[in-house]
Parts: sequence; structure tokens; C-alpha cells
Amino acid sequence: MSEEKNDVIIGLECHVQLDTDSKLFCGCPTTAEEPNSACCEVCLGFPGSKPVLNKKAVDYALKVSMALNCEINKEFFFSRKTYFYPDMSKNFQITQYEVPVGKNGYLTLSSGKKIKIERVHIEEDPAALVHESGLAMSRQTMVDYNRSGIPLVEIVTAPDMRSPQEARDFLDQLTTVLQYLGVFDEREGTLKVDSNLSIKGGERVEVKNITGKKGVEKAMSYEAVRQKGVILKGEAVRRETRAFNEKTLTTRSLRTKETEEGYGYIFEPDLTAFELDEKYLNSIKQSLPELHDSKAKRFVQQYSLDGYTAGVLSRNPHLGNIFEQAIKSVDVALAAKFLTRELLGILNYNSLSFEEADLKVEELVGLMQLLEKGEVSEKNAKQALIKYVLEKASPRKFIEEQGLKKDLDETELLNAIEAAVNENRPAVADFKKGEKKALHFLVGKVMQSTKGKADAREIQKKLKERIEAE
Amino acid sequence: MEAMSIADFVKQVVMGKISVVQHTEQVLSEIDSTNPKFNHFNLIASELALQQAKEVEAEIKTGRHKGKLLGVPISVKDCICVKGVESRAGSKILSGYRPTFNATVIERVRAEGAIIVGKTLQDEFGFGTFCTNTGVDFPTPLNPLDKSRSCGGSSGGSAGFTALTEFTHAGIAESTGGSIACPAAFCGVVGFTPTYGRVSRYGLMDYANSLDKIGTMGKTVADASLLLEVISGHDSSDSTSLPEPVPNLGEGEGDARFKVGIVKELFEKSDESVRKECEKAVAQMEKLGASVKELSLPLNSEYGVAAYYLLSMSEASTNLAKFCGMRYGLHGKLEGSFNEYFSKVRSEGFGKEAKRRILLGTFARMSGFRDAYYLRAAKARTKLINEFKEVFKEVDVLVNPTMPVVAPKFSEIKKLSPMQHYAMDLCTVPANLAGLPHLSLTAGTAKKMPVGLMLTADHLQEQNLSSAALSLEGALK
Ligand SMILES: [Zn+2]
Repeated sequence: MSEEKNDVIIGLECHVQLDTDSKLFCGCPTTAEEPNSACCEVCLGFPGSKPVLNKKAVDYALKVSMALNCEINKEFFFSRKTYFYPDMSKNFQITQYEVPVGKNGYLTLSSGKKIKIERVHIEEDPAALVHESGLAMSRQTMVDYNRSGIPLVEIVTAPDMRSPQEARDFLDQLTTVLQYLGVFDEREGTLKVDSNLSIKGGERVEVKNITGKKGVEKAMSYEAVRQKGVILKGEAVRRETRAFNEKTLTTRSLRTKETEEGYGYIFEPDLTAFELDEKYLNSIKQSLPELHDSKAKRFVQQYSLDGYTAGVLSRNPHLGNIFEQAIKSVDVALAAKFLTRELLGILNYNSLSFEEADLKVEELVGLMQLLEKGEVSEKNAKQALIKYVLEKASPRKFIEEQGLKKDLDETELLNAIEAAVNENRPAVADFKKGEKKALHFLVGKVMQSTKGKADAREIQKKLKERIEAE
Repeated sequence: MEAMSIADFVKQVVMGKISVVQHTEQVLSEIDSTNPKFNHFNLIASELALQQAKEVEAEIKTGRHKGKLLGVPISVKDCICVKGVESRAGSKILSGYRPTFNATVIERVRAEGAIIVGKTLQDEFGFGTFCTNTGVDFPTPLNPLDKSRSCGGSSGGSAGFTALTEFTHAGIAESTGGSIACPAAFCGVVGFTPTYGRVSRYGLMDYANSLDKIGTMGKTVADASLLLEVISGHDSSDSTSLPEPVPNLGEGEGDARFKVGIVKELFEKSDESVRKECEKAVAQMEKLGASVKELSLPLNSEYGVAAYYLLSMSEASTNLAKFCGMRYGLHGKLEGSFNEYFSKVRSEGFGKEAKRRILLGTFARMSGFRDAYYLRAAKARTKLINEFKEVFKEVDVLVNPTMPVVAPKFSEIKKLSPMQHYAMDLCTVPANLAGLPHLSLTAGTAKKMPVGLMLTADHLQEQNLSSAALSLEGALK
């Protein structure tokens, strides 16, 4: 029943840790090894301490708002949200309430559908609660204040998504934007989402505090099935808040009384209100990079790439940059194929980010040039690339030293084929009987004896000619 | 024997005629002997003070030290953090809290060679007008002029000891709605509250952050002014700190030739005996060259107290949320859920008035009531400030009785309802709500008790206040 799928309504509140060096209201670093080693009187909420705003976080939040096509509120101030929780160093959180930094924006999904962004605001992260032997088994809760005061942006969408997959796509697009802006480190920083789902006409259920994009998709899939099950039984879905269990991929009820929570917001009196002036906003606007969707469109137009390849090349800002540099000296199709298949494949297989791999464009270009001129086989080029990505061995040098250059002359290759045919008569016979696998076996033998300097396709062609000539 | 002024004292110290160590010992021994009777201090920092005195004296001997407060004993209101010294803001809930840092004002007076002698008693977190709302298990400070009467609040210990001591001394105090001017008036000393933002609040344990101002208490206008000059000035650790340069207050000359405005409503609402003394002082100002006229602050007189209490309680109720027996201060037996645990600690640690203000303040900012109370008070505040701004187009200095009464007897205070208690702040609240600098000095006596006259100036005009007060003080002697 396809219309059933469209009955799902999903909205997201995403909490993104901003990748600043220091915390939102003190000079403490945002990364630390030991628990409770990156904290001071401010982020511990000691009486007498006072917050001082880290302007970098405002820059970042403005970039996010602008990249999400938001209207910018020039009036800037913070509010106090008071509630008691053991991860709160002051039992109030400094956040933005009445006037968020950005509002009424949108983000485009890969399908082209626009998801409305209701607001983008800055707030401080609470401390982390640590349960040594898991939430259920631990007899005590420990608090790690290293996280206390790390800047967050909260991005709130309208309930515009119609499936868990759309929610996932939204988060993929969002993290791509954030990485383009250089404000979010997907490896170090966390993305936490409060995700709400309802079936058309039913009550809204919020699933709190889901970590990561996959988690949101799984939690929403479970919730959609659960709520449909409730409706099928002829019962009504209760308005409630639920928690997601990452191990069992299920949700459980936290509280059912979903009344307007009394946070008793007041203006944060320790920080002054100020006006974001035109000059400053323009400078932020100028600093915005070309984002992935416009880059992908440009790649299609400018380089005649297909939409899919253009999308893959532009998803990561580094990859797009490498591509555009490479095609100054290498064929577009070759570079696109080499980067999207070989390079991305190796990085993904080894779970490396571009930052971690720290690749030099010149080295990659050098390798692609060898490939283009036919001086190295695809197989050996890949081997050299793996060596480079993992061990930083210069690909040109590696190929040189290992004698992997395609310097075989015709006779050498023909000799190798001759030898393979003579030494493996049973395989030759099998091939003649129509067994294709036998040919692959023979190709492998020739590859071995020629150290991969020849192209598999060429060997195959020559082998066939040789056997068919018998 | 009258105590030497700070300026004279420092000269003597520099000339080697006064030993800082000996003087500190004498002051400490005076505190030791008077405190059991008057309760002006809840912590006497004898060891720290003597150590500081020795260091200062050693530095003087090398000729290096040129501080404006060389060897001067300074008392500090309990709500201001002194590194390593138990700082409780007058509350049991902060038992054992020894800050890991100094308030900026402490750093500044120490840099000028001051000696920190102890922490003075106050209403819990500043929640009071008579220093009778002290924390659970805290005593009440007594007025040195009449032990049956209040010192005023909330900086009661600070004013009480400033009046009592025979030695050179000044106090670092704090005012949210009148907590410096009121006790200064009741004890007959000078209380100087600066423009909001003039003095860094870094290290001040908050009552209501948008109203809190650290200021000074002195035996004379000169002493209070000099200490204020030292602690003033921009501080990057307090986002609300003002960048404006600090005027020279310590060596100011007396000059009363200002346009002075008498705030009609505040005179009318004061006791007759108080009003008469203040009128005499104003007549004196006129003789000294001031041009005096009567004017009116109808909005401030009518709505000041209500707006002040709504805003200050709303802010206070959020500030006090952090006290939950987890990281510092009073701890309880670990049992029950987090909610049960902190509720128990807070029930034991907070006094009655603190609880009342948490409840009222929380109510005023909760959804459903926020618009009618908290937000309306915030809007009213802007109007009240504008009313002041209008009158400061016509005059330089406003005058009114600091308190509508002289220091009341404890037996009288007991009869007051909370609303009558709050109404006593009528005269001090408007200037505090508007963040205006103000100074209280003794105009005369009524019922054998001092009567305070309050001078208020426009934002950042502390120098005018100091000049006018110096001149008047000289004439009233
Ligand atoms: Zn910190």
C-alpha cells in the first residue's frame, strides 16, 4: 500500500557540535583525553564565574544559517533555560529562545524536495553522563564536564519529511553542508537528534537524543511500524516522549505527560545583547564556500559529467577540489572515474577521511597521468594508490622502484602467453570446450609472469587469438 | 580617637611610621573582641591577613610597593569570592565553598597593597533590607550605635564594621536594590554604589545579574571614593563590564555647585524626622552653591519596587538553581533519586526568604505568567530608566532620603509583613533598577540615629557625586 508510506510525518531537531577550538563561554579546549581535564570555573558553573562569548561560534552559526537559506536576525542575545538535571553544571542552559540567529530557511534533499528549516540557534552543550557498566547495570552515574559548554547549533525542521529514508537523506545533506562550511567534524563532533514522528491524524511521538544519522533512520523506521501497529489494533497512538535503544533498534516510553515544559526562560543577564551589523554579516556571507548542490550542478554543466558522478564528486569538498585541480592536466572522464571509484573506494574501505589521509594533489595527478599515457596498468595504479594512501609512498617512485611500469614489448608478452598456453594444456582444453573460467585462469598466469605490467584486457585478447589459432 | 583617612594612613605607612603587620594585628584583635557582640563578620581571615601584611611590609622595605591601599584593612562582603577562603554569600548551602579564583575586585585591591581581613555578614544572597534574613545557622549583625537596632541590609556587616572600627578600614560591599546605601544610612557611614558595569562582577555570587553592582563602604566620602576608584574599570572576564576610563575619585575636590533636583515623592513618603534632616542638608548644599529645584519621578515612585522585585526574584530563582549539593557547598547523604537528593539539600540549605524568592521568581517567569510579570517588568524597567534620563537633562544630581526611616528596632522589623519589608526599599530601588551611580552619606540624626541622604547622578557621573558629597560632608561636620 503505497499511500500508507505517505502518511508518515517526521520533523527533526538536530544538535550539532561546532568545531571551534575553545568552548562557547570559556577558554577551555573542546577536545581532551582525560575525563574532567578540560574544565574551569565557568564550564563547571562555580558560583562567581561569568560567561564570555566565543565569537567564533557566532560566525559558525551564521554560516550554518546562511547556508540553510535562513533569514538572519540582527538582534542577538541569549536566554536562560532553567531545569534541573545532573548533566547541567548550573541547572540552567544558556541558549537562544525568543530570537534565534536564523529562521525560515530550507535544505534541498537529493530528490530536489525542499525541507523547511524553522530555526537555527546557538546553545551550550551539557556535561556527559557516564555509566561505567551501562545504563541499566551501573549503580552510579559519573559526570564528565569536558563536554560542558561546547558550542552547539540546534537546527529545527518543519514536519516535512515523509519517510525515515527522507529523514536520513536530510541528515546526509545537512552534514555535507556542515562539512563544506568547515564547522563540523563528523569524526570528532557529535550529531544528536530529537526526532518526532506521527501517522497522519495521530498524536506526535518524540524520540529523544538519538546519536548519528543511521540511528535516526532506524529509530524512525521502528516508530513508523510501531505506530501503524497500534492503529491497526484499533487503538490511538499516545502523545509521548520515547528513547531509542541503539542495540535493539527499538524505542521505549520515557514519559507520557507531554505538557508544555516549564523552563521559565529569562534573558541571560550575564551576556549583553548586541546588533549584528551589515558589514560583519557581509563578511560572513563572503566567506561561504560554493556548496555541494550548486557545485554538482556546475560539474554537470561545465564538465558534462552525469548527475550521479557529479553528486559523488561534490559530496565531499576535498574530493571536488582534487577533481578540479586534476582536470587541468588529466582527462575529465579518467579523473572522475579514478577519484570516485578507486580513491573513494580505498578511503571508505579503510574508513579514512580526507583530513586523515592528507593527500597531495600533485601525487594523485602524477599517477593519473601515468594511467592516461598507458604507462601503468589499472591494477598497478590501484596498488600504488593504496600504498600512497596508507603509507604515503609517492606513487611515481613506488611504480619506478617496483618496476611496475608498463614497459613490456610485444614479444615479451607473446612469449609469456606462449609459455602459459604450453604449461597449462588442461585449461586450454577446458576453454576450447567453452569454459570461460579457464580463460581467466590463463590470464592470471600471464599477469603473474609479467608482474602485472600488461593490461588484463589486452592479455585476454591476445590469449584468445593464440588459442583460437591452434 | 578618629580613624585616619586611607590617604593619610598610606602616607604614614610609606614613611614607615605605621607597621602594616602591627596595624593588621590590632585590627584583627579588634574584630576578635567585637565580633561575638556584633556579628559583623562570618569569617575572620586572620592567617591570610597576617600573611598578606608580612608580604606587603617586606615589599615596602624594598621600596618597590606604591599601592593606593598600602596596608589598608579591607573587609569583603561574603558574596564576593576570595580564593581559598570560604565564601558563602551568607548561605548555609554554600558551606565549605572555597573559590578556586579571586573576584576581579579582590585582585585589584590586592594589587594596590590592601589586606583582606574577612568576610562580612549579609542577608542570605542579599535577600533583605535589615540583615535579618541571614542564612540558616547565621547570626544577625547588630547596629554598633544601638544594639537593639538593625544594621540595615543586605551589606549589614560591612556597614556595621565600618562604623564600629577605630581603625582605618573600608569595605567592599554589593548592592542589587539598595544593599549598600541602606546599611550605610542606618549605620552612619558612606556607601558608594557605582554605575552598573563600572566595577567587574567577576567573582560576585549572583543575586540578580542585571542589577548587581559591587561598591564600597567607607567612614568618609574620600575613603569610599578612593576604594571605588581602585576597583573600577573594564574587565574582559565580565561581559557586562563597561569600557569607559575610570575617573579620578580618590583625590577629588569638594564642589557642590551643581543643579540639584529634590525628588518630591520620596521626600513625601519618608518619616517626618528623616525628611527634616534631609531638607536641612539640601539647604546646606544650596549655601555651598548648588541650585536646587523640586522635581517628580512619578513612574519610579509608583512602579519601581514592583518592577524591581519581579526582575530580581526572576533572576535570583535561576541563579539559585545551581545549588544542588553536587559540586560544591552543602552536601547531603547520597540517597534517593537526583530530584529527591537535591530537594533535600535545598530544603536544608536555604533560609525562608531565599525559598520565598525562589518560589515567587519561578512563578513570575513560568509560561502562562511570564508575559504578565517578568516581561512586563522588563518593559517597565525601560520606561523607568527613560524617566530618569529625562530629569537628568535638567539636573546633575538627584537627592532623596536614603531610607524612609532610621534604623528600626528588631522588635519593629518582626511586625513587618513581607510586602511592608519590600516597600522599605522605595527610595533606593529606582536608582538601582536604572543602574545609576548613587551615594549615601549622613545628613543628620533623628531619634539619636543617623539619617542618610542619597545623591544620585546620571550613568558614569561618579565624579559629580563624589565632588558634591565631599563638599556637603565638609559643611555638615
Ligand atoms: Zn571552561
